[in-house]
Amino acid sequence: MRGITLNTRDPVYEQVMNHFKVLIANGELRPGDEIPSRRELARLFQINPNTVQRAYKEMEDAQLIHTERNYPSKVTTDEAVLIQVREELLHHAVETFVDAIHLIQVPMEEVLARVENRINELEREDDR
Amino acid sequence: MIELTNITKKYGRKWVLKDISMHIPKGEMTCLVGRNSVGKTTIMNMIMGLTHPTAGKITIDGEEIHPALYEKISYIPDQMIMVNQMTVGDAIAFMKAFYRHWNDERASALLYKFSLHRSDKIRKLSKGARGKVNMLLGLSIDADYILLDEPFSGIDPISREQILDVCMQQLVEGKGILITTHDLQELEQFADRAVLIEDGMIHRAFELEDMRATEGKTILDILREVDSNAQGE
Repeated sequence: MRGITLNTRDPVYEQVMNHFKVLIANGELRPGDEIPSRRELARLFQINPNTVQRAYKEMEDAQLIHTERNYPSKVTTDEAVLIQVREELLHHAVETFVDAIHLIQVPMEEVLARVENRINELEREDDR
Repeated sequence: MIELTNITKKYGRKWVLKDISMHIPKGEMTCLVGRNSVGKTTIMNMIMGLTHPTAGKITIDGEEIHPALYEKISYIPDQMIMVNQMTVGDAIAFMKAFYRHWNDERASALLYKFSLHRSDKIRKLSKGARGKVNMLLGLSIDADYILLDEPFSGIDPISREQILDVCMQQLVEGKGILITTHDLQELEQFADRAVLIEDGMIHRAFELEDMRATEGKTILDILREVDSNAQGE
């Protein structure tokens, strides 16, 4: 797992949770994969271990990960939860985007064409 | 837990601290911030028994402070109190002879981590390296609480990262840390709680995650508010 860029104004545990949701949604973390220990993650992200503890606890409560006794925590294999994570991220991203677009009153066709262009651009970058 | 209850300190007729109540729990990092350093250093000195409160009470794990309790605390001052002619090895030997709870294994691990050598002459070390020797000496005492006074001043970014990493290990081991620093950006995502001292009083005390969640503010934002209020007076 790579490091993370944190902003200073949102709770760190939320940012950590969101980071994991993205990795789960894009398939970088697969169902059943082990995730780093709390100590490893604190070190990797250079954050307080208590914050990591809180993020992991919230993710456990949301059934995103599960931990059996002293074993490493694993990503859930529960299909319903995985679908929900993807849905939640997608909903939030679309809402943020559309709210911004709505403010500047851009016609639908133009928005869709721009979105398509941008997606193609990013895909070409990924292929490189 | 180290607990300060209604602490007041007067030097002659001058108030330095007024009615300070705060606690330093184990396993957490508490950051003392404020625009001037008098109050912050006085609080650390009082916890170490170097100066006594005019009124109020300090307890460590429920006991009122007495000399034997100081073994539970390691105080790391902002400057190393070692003779310049010593080598790093001499300084380690000196501390080992002096402290009952010296942890040789940790000292060796930190030497390696900080790329220091026992044969290094203290007077020939850079400021950053001397800061690391200072940290090494303080952290190699097995204590439940660590008091860090300005650990980052004059220290390069890589050394800062190493010092923070060591702090993190201490937190994982359940130690309680009290830290004062002007380098807030190092601590915004690292400390658990901040206590802001202004005019000798606690202006605000808050959990950093809660502050981000409820007001979306950093320690620096809160300090700015204090500053602009002071200018408005």
